[in-house]
Amino acid sequence: MLKNYLKIALRYLLKNKLYSIINIFGLAVGIASFVLIMLYVNYEKSYDTFEGSENVYRIYMDYLEGDTYVPGDAMTYNSSGPALKEMFPEVLDYVRFYYFEKLAFKVGEKILEQPLGSLADPSYFNIFNYPLSKGDSETVLTEPNSIVLSKSFAEKLFGNENPLRRTISVFEDGKETQLTVTGIMEDVPETAHYRNSFLISYETEKTLTDFGPTAHELNWNMNNYYTYLKLAPNTNIDVLRQKIIDSDIEKSETERHNIEPIEDIHLYSDKPYEVTANGSVLRIKFLTAIAFIILVLSWLNYVNLSTTKSMERAKEAGIRKVAGAKKSQLIVQSLMESLLLNFIAIAIALSIVFGVLPFYTNIIGNELNLDWGFIVSFIPYFIFIIGGVILAGLYPALLLSRYSPAKALKGKVRASTEGIGLRKGLIVTQFFATIVLLTGTFIISKQINFLDNQPIGADVGQIIALHGTVVSTQSDSLVNNDFRVLKEQLEDFPFIEKTAIAQTYPGDSFDNLSSSRGIWLPDGRSDKANIFYTYHAQPDYFDLMDIEFLAGGTFVLNSKFEGNQIVVNETFLKTVGISSPEDLLNKTVSFWGNNEWKVVGIIKDYYHFGLKTPVLPTIVRYQDDISNLLVKIDKSSISIAGLETALSQIENKWHEIFPQSTFNYTFLDEKFEAQYEQDKAFGKAFQIFTVLSILIASLGLFGLTAYTVVLRKKEIGIRKVNGATITQVLTLLNKDFVKLLGLAFIIAIPSSWYVMNQWLEGFTYRTNFSWWIFALAGTTALLITFLTVSWQSFKAAIANPVESLKDE
Amino acid sequence: MLLQLNNIFKWVTTGGQRIFLLKDINLEVEEGEFISIMGPSGSGKSTLLNVIGMLDTFDEGEYNFMDESVHSLKEKHRSNLYKQYIGFVFQSYHLLDELTVKENLEMPLIYKKIKGSERKAMVADMLDRFNIVGKKDLFPAQLSGGQQQLVGVARALIASPKLILADEPTGNLNSKQGEEIMELFKQLNEEGVTIIQVTHSEKNAEYGSRIINLLDGRMV
Repeated sequence: MLKNYLKIALRYLLKNKLYSIINIFGLAVGIASFVLIMLYVNYEKSYDTFEGSENVYRIYMDYLEGDTYVPGDAMTYNSSGPALKEMFPEVLDYVRFYYFEKLAFKVGEKILEQPLGSLADPSYFNIFNYPLSKGDSETVLTEPNSIVLSKSFAEKLFGNENPLRRTISVFEDGKETQLTVTGIMEDVPETAHYRNSFLISYETEKTLTDFGPTAHELNWNMNNYYTYLKLAPNTNIDVLRQKIIDSDIEKSETERHNIEPIEDIHLYSDKPYEVTANGSVLRIKFLTAIAFIILVLSWLNYVNLSTTKSMERAKEAGIRKVAGAKKSQLIVQSLMESLLLNFIAIAIALSIVFGVLPFYTNIIGNELNLDWGFIVSFIPYFIFIIGGVILAGLYPALLLSRYSPAKALKGKVRASTEGIGLRKGLIVTQFFATIVLLTGTFIISKQINFLDNQPIGADVGQIIALHGTVVSTQSDSLVNNDFRVLKEQLEDFPFIEKTAIAQTYPGDSFDNLSSSRGIWLPDGRSDKANIFYTYHAQPDYFDLMDIEFLAGGTFVLNSKFEGNQIVVNETFLKTVGISSPEDLLNKTVSFWGNNEWKVVGIIKDYYHFGLKTPVLPTIVRYQDDISNLLVKIDKSSISIAGLETALSQIENKWHEIFPQSTFNYTFLDEKFEAQYEQDKAFGKAFQIFTVLSILIASLGLFGLTAYTVVLRKKEIGIRKVNGATITQVLTLLNKDFVKLLGLAFIIAIPSSWYVMNQWLEGFTYRTNFSWWIFALAGTTALLITFLTVSWQSFKAAIANPVESLKDE
Repeated sequence: MLLQLNNIFKWVTTGGQRIFLLKDINLEVEEGEFISIMGPSGSGKSTLLNVIGMLDTFDEGEYNFMDESVHSLKEKHRSNLYKQYIGFVFQSYHLLDELTVKENLEMPLIYKKIKGSERKAMVADMLDRFNIVGKKDLFPAQLSGGQQQLVGVARALIASPKLILADEPTGNLNSKQGEEIMELFKQLNEEGVTIIQVTHSEKNAEYGSRIINLLDGRMV
């Protein structure tokens, strides 16, 4: 019997080609989109899951702002972990990291710069269940001057040689330290927020870093450490959190310790000083919503089309009933058909998925690994798809089986009466989704446009930041001097317009800013509540970056305040409650102990962290430094092709002065743009899936009109014979759809306004909702509807009525 | 006695008014009869046939079919009853367009859960008997009207029903094709199948052993 059903189903699909193609194509696109989006969503959700990860928590700092505590710093003190472990039995263990954005390593004569590694407590392998391929996880990090390398980093350093027990040098703060390789670990998975490529034993801190003699003892002064806790299984987190807050281990009035699950960091945490830029749960929610919308849209289409089509098949159902078919047999048969159709669609969808996966990973910027665990995690979605398929098939099946055979055989079952309310509801839902998605697309591109075009108060164009680790046995001041010499020599190149030296630049990460609290103002007041961010630069920095001064100017060399000059921004003034720049200019403030800092200039606010982060109260200090040598390229004297040559000339000059050092460069505009990369990728994805949703909805509408027109052929014929014009017939056929669209539009306005506001709130600086966005979305939807519907209705309207009125 | 209708009424209510489709129908049919129902359009012929075939319900009266009182049976039992004993033939054949001749014949057997091998034998038998073996793989659209109706009759007969209900079986056929079908009916009747047909044609009605005339839902 099953075989029989399948055969008939297949013949039916082949016979009704338009219907089959529309249905299969719509479903395939819907399912493919759903799978693609959910692949990405699953990937994002799989961050930091390893054996035991559910018991791993990160400590972070809440800062008091006004009356409330807000997440202030992802980093903690070196005392935080030990204190919590001692105080609470639930805390089984802790691991502290001191993080290096990058370090320079030397093996033999080879110098290599490696990003992302840490000093780590020996407990690392007890908490992070990442496998060690060589070495004993209990001891690899216990001895000072031990280093564990990731597999790929070890290969970079040693090739195929055995790296164990080998000695390598590392350079930090101009100091060389010898380390012994004690272990090799597997590369930390991509889905981890903290991807160490090397771990140096925590004990090495004393010799490796240069924080001063007491910094290595447990203290509550320097919060530069990421701390992760391993908690006892089944710990009540809310209770523990409250106990930690109540205990006030640090005895501070302005900050407190807090904890968060490691599994939530990637999507839910966006604190200052994160290890890496994290994902956004809002984006994930939006994408999930689109995935479900698109899938449900394609099912609605299917239900709508097959319901309409089932009217046509009422006669068949009648014959089968008369021939002895039971209701259940008819339902099973109809379900078989829809299963067949859906499985063809699923097969096509999967081939689409595998076909576009390479391009797709390009768009979303992540490599999706379809390993076994990943597939297992996808099972719920497949169950959802199958469940939906059955449900979508069930309605038309029930409808079909319900017809009384006597009526069905007389052809008394007409599309105009059965399930009309439902079908209208489905169409309104489709229109509604279309308009909401259109509004979303428009508002997202408006916001991205805003991000791109909003002046940031500084000019990052044509600027390249040169940086590298200088390996030198000379004293710091001599190295600093060499750096200035390099800067001057670079200025001699005709293609270099300006140069400057600075610790950081707009678009760079939080890492290169220090945060501190407590400042004493010239009027005798002090501000201990707010956090200030500081970095250092040299005099030509402001000119190079085109940052404007409200009052005063840049640092002045050779004045007696040389080392103690600062420039502050507008937001700083507002934060400390000084209204006029003149009240602060050339006056002194105190912070960081008793230093007297002279304010030589007040700059206009610029967006150091882009438009997603508010402008922070910032102090720029004058200090010698070799972090970044910024050069501004003269646009007029260099072509794009010439840039390569220019860069190699710069590199040669760099190595002339620092023969033993690494050399890297960053284009500032690219790095600044990169802050919006994820938003742009999201915008692109949203756009693509909106287009696909609309395509699906249009297909459905197209198919539906095709049948409406067939069913109303006789009516159209009669009207035409009685004098209806083509326009009148067109109006007749189109006005129903327009009415439904209007209804959908009215519901869509508040919904999309609400939803898209949520998205916009993720941006500190954002564009506004204009009325024309709704108008544009509505008009677009109307236009698409007209185009889709009119093709069919026009054909019906111009048809010769004699044809349609011939007796059947 | 095969079936018995006692005081059957059927009506629809429009605008508070009852319009009678069937009015006080009393009919007894013995096994082996060949009955023709006649009457003008709208007189209730098809309705009566549908009531007898249990495809349609009635509002009042009693209907006994092979000693089962149809009026008190549940829908499920009713359909089991007609599936087992009644075959239908329609004016517009009502063959399934997507199925071949062979498959159209096979369909009722599938619903009766008859085994595949047995089904094949029965279909082959029927094809043979109606001389349409050569057409078994054709689709209905590839057949003439007469041939289609032949298949329709074959399908109605395949499960060996006691009663065949035919609603204007020759209505869509030309006179020669019509005659052939009526000859077929006559032959079947002689073999012992009870037949009730609705017809407009006096000539076709003559094939039957009894004629029932309807007017406005009443037997006259």
